[in-house]
Amino acid sequence: MTKSIVTIFIFTLLTSSFPAWAENKKEKVVVEYKKYERFDLGNLEIQGSVIAPGDVSVKERERKVLETDFYDKKDYFPDIRRDVLNLK
Amino acid sequence: MKKIMTIILLLFIICSSAFGSLEKARQHFNNPNVDRKNEKITYELIMGDYYFSAIPFAIKHLVNAQKINPEFERALKSLIIKAGPEIFFDVPTEALLRHESPTLYFVLGLKFFHEKNYGQAIKYLEKIPDDNYLQPEVRLTKGAAYSLLGNSDAGYTEYKKCYTHAENAVSATSNDKIKRYYAILKETCLIHVARLKFTSQEYDKSMEAYDEIDKTSYKWPYVLLEKAWVKYKQNDYNRTLGLLVTYKYPLLESYFMPESELLTALSYHKLCLWEDALSVVDQYYKIYKPRSEALASVLIKNKTSDSYFFYLTHESTQMLEAKHPFIKSLITQIKKTVKYNVEYGAYKIAMKEAILLKKMHRDDFIRMLIEDTDAQINLKIKSLNWYIKEYMYEFINKINGLSFQLFKIRIDIMSKKRDLIYKGTKLIADRGRGDLQHVKRTVDEQFWEFTGEFWADELGDYSFGLKSNCEEVKQRTFEDVKKEILEEEKGKMNTEKKDEGSKGAKND
Repeated sequence: MTKSIVTIFIFTLLTSSFPAWAENKKEKVVVEYKKYERFDLGNLEIQGSVIAPGDVSVKERERKVLETDFYDKKDYFPDIRRDVLNLK
Repeated sequence: MKKIMTIILLLFIICSSAFGSLEKARQHFNNPNVDRKNEKITYELIMGDYYFSAIPFAIKHLVNAQKINPEFERALKSLIIKAGPEIFFDVPTEALLRHESPTLYFVLGLKFFHEKNYGQAIKYLEKIPDDNYLQPEVRLTKGAAYSLLGNSDAGYTEYKKCYTHAENAVSATSNDKIKRYYAILKETCLIHVARLKFTSQEYDKSMEAYDEIDKTSYKWPYVLLEKAWVKYKQNDYNRTLGLLVTYKYPLLESYFMPESELLTALSYHKLCLWEDALSVVDQYYKIYKPRSEALASVLIKNKTSDSYFFYLTHESTQMLEAKHPFIKSLITQIKKTVKYNVEYGAYKIAMKEAILLKKMHRDDFIRMLIEDTDAQINLKIKSLNWYIKEYMYEFINKINGLSFQLFKIRIDIMSKKRDLIYKGTKLIADRGRGDLQHVKRTVDEQFWEFTGEFWADELGDYSFGLKSNCEEVKQRTFEDVKKEILEEEKGKMNTEKKDEGSKGAKND
């Protein structure tokens, strides 16, 4: 029993110390970030605009022309008849 | 004193002769052996001025006799003049056709005209000799029949003859009422000529005929609207508006014609004066809606009555005004018509007869006469009641029909306004309200400037001086404004660049 506990202890100790040992073997990597970047807004342009609700646009289509059949006097036939009927 | 004695004597002779005739008629009636009983009773009753009492006896004679004599023809003439030709409309056509009587030919012609059988109407009217007393009426009826059959040339010829016959009748009589009747008939024939010329689109000739109607004539206010239509057809909208504005004359208050409002709106519309046209449309709704409602309430309540409308014409002005001022004006308009006056005259004769008969001792004969006269009176009341009711119905239907026409004008104006917006244009608006240069005048047309007052001699000669507003001008749109701003900015940029360039050159 004591033997097996000692074996587990030694195994655990060995596995946990191995990565640290491996790291110490690698070179140190220095990461360099860009210190500043220039944005040239002069070359960009905003296209389009927010359309106001009042600016209703209608697709081009053939306009419907309303019929203008207004009242028109062509003859007096009903009046002519009435004149005779109301003669006497 | 002598004069009074003469009048009393004359009255006594008239009364005794009337009573004598009635007495003779009674004797004929009670005598079973008398020959041509109905004919003889007819003569006696007419002699005694009992025209409506004579009608049933005259009809019986017409139905039973194979031939009528000239004396009976004269009796028929009296009956037609006093009671109207329609008293014989119910006599079977075969009975009317059996007799060679100009008066009955006229009755037949008129009867067929009523039935819209114009060919048959002309056939019987043509049988009436040229020297007959009914010639003015015969020619007018024939002219109308030809016109309605589409033969305007024949119609025109008949109307011309009607004019001449009526003119002769005016100068042949000294009775003022008869003179006025034939004068109206003469003018009616002239108006029919103008209407025929209007139908055949001979507008100048139509106007010439209308211009012959005198301003003092009963027909003249009605002619104004027809003249306005002629001017409208000739595209003289200013003159149309001028003629129609005459209806605003206070004394022509009872001559309200809804069609004149429509023609006013149409004229403004033609001149592209849309706001004016729209204000006429609004005005029409404001004025005629309450009138239409008032008239509808009277008509619906009394639709089935056989006498309500007849007695409405007897009500006092105050009573009518209380119902609605419009009803009062409409009744005034109806009471001015020839038909109403002639029929009402006949009704009064019948009433007078009935009152006289009811004062007499009532034997079988008198009882029968009273019964017959009462029946004739009821017929007259029904006939007049129908005439007034029909007049009112036609009027209300016209008001409603025209309101739809005005609605169409409003819709058209709205549509045209929308089109202008889409096209980015607008109507030229910087115009003067009126100018003499826009007034069209013929050599015989007067010119009066309207200064807010109507003068009798100016009436009917008004003209507006409005310039047509139909010219379109470009309107600034959103796109136009955008372009203008961009161009402005470009201009600024260029000047700045130039300035910078010149500074650089100096520095160098």
